[in-house]
Amino acid sequence: MGHLAGGGVSTATQARAPVVTRAYRDAIPVVLAYAPFGLALGATLAATRISPLIAWSSSPLLFSGAAQLLAVQLLGAGTSAGVVVLGALVVNARMLLYGAALAPYTAAWPGRWRWLGAYLLIDPVYALAASRFQGPDSGTARDRLRYYLAAGIILWTAWMALTAAGMLLGGVLPTSLPLDRIAPLTFLLLLLPMLTSQPAYAAAATGGLVAVVTSGLPLGLGLLAGAAAGIAVGGYLAGRRG
Amino acid sequence: MAELLTLAVIGAGTYAMRAAFLVTARHQPPAPVRRLLPYIGPAVLAAIALPAFVAPHGSVSFTGTVPGLLAAVVAWMAWRCAKHNLPIALFGGLAAWWLTSWALCAA
Repeated sequence: MGHLAGGGVSTATQARAPVVTRAYRDAIPVVLAYAPFGLALGATLAATRISPLIAWSSSPLLFSGAAQLLAVQLLGAGTSAGVVVLGALVVNARMLLYGAALAPYTAAWPGRWRWLGAYLLIDPVYALAASRFQGPDSGTARDRLRYYLAAGIILWTAWMALTAAGMLLGGVLPTSLPLDRIAPLTFLLLLLPMLTSQPAYAAAATGGLVAVVTSGLPLGLGLLAGAAAGIAVGGYLAGRRG
Repeated sequence: MAELLTLAVIGAGTYAMRAAFLVTARHQPPAPVRRLLPYIGPAVLAAIALPAFVAPHGSVSFTGTVPGLLAAVVAWMAWRCAKHNLPIALFGGLAAWWLTSWALCAA
């Protein structure tokens, strides 16, 4: 791990174990919560007119469930490539915000690990990392890197396997599998650990309400409007509290 | 092949957005920006989740909104009572959503 590594092998192993174990302990329940979403998404990808291998390739290429669903469904419906690309990138624009929020905690990581870390950045990885890094037991830069990579690799591996299994089991899974209900509940459960202050509650409430009011905007722009309003309100209240 | 190319372009664009700050930010952002960072997660995740609870079929309706909001509340309560156990909270919320939808449709 470049200049972050230090000490002999046994010392490094001893230091690494608790952080990596904690990452496993935190990430595995998230994988279980994501399992129905991943399976249902895989089944949905298999049901489009896109070839199964190309549809599944959206998992390693995008590693983003909402954008995968949007892109493959639009491609299957014959939508032009430009519209598909624009729509999926708007849906994924929140990654810019996630990267900005985590950047202060990753600045000391060696460059190559930040490049890898960027690939692994997705909602649950961000949620786990933000909760840990902003908490009292954030640890050193090396601890944060190991935690982030361990959680990210677990979630990435699980996502590849779950979407593949969903595609293979697509004909077996019940057609009424409630993908549209699993996803928001999963996002809610990722949100709850972040509600640790009044400005955080205000940011969530404002973001959610503005997104509801603007949900009619095209290309998922309501999500960005809600996010912008929530961030602004949270920051304003935090500033007033000093 | 055109479909694979489209997905690859989206993947490259998504990666660029992920990396834009994570890879390049060696320096601390200015204080006004730094103050906003802790609220990105709550605002974004709520903006994703709440519309799906309030208008699960794209518009507000009694039979769609009530089960959705009740599921959110049950999942939240289950998460608190079950010591932050995600699977229990998820399936508790799903059960509440399904049962309420079924009851409202049957009524």
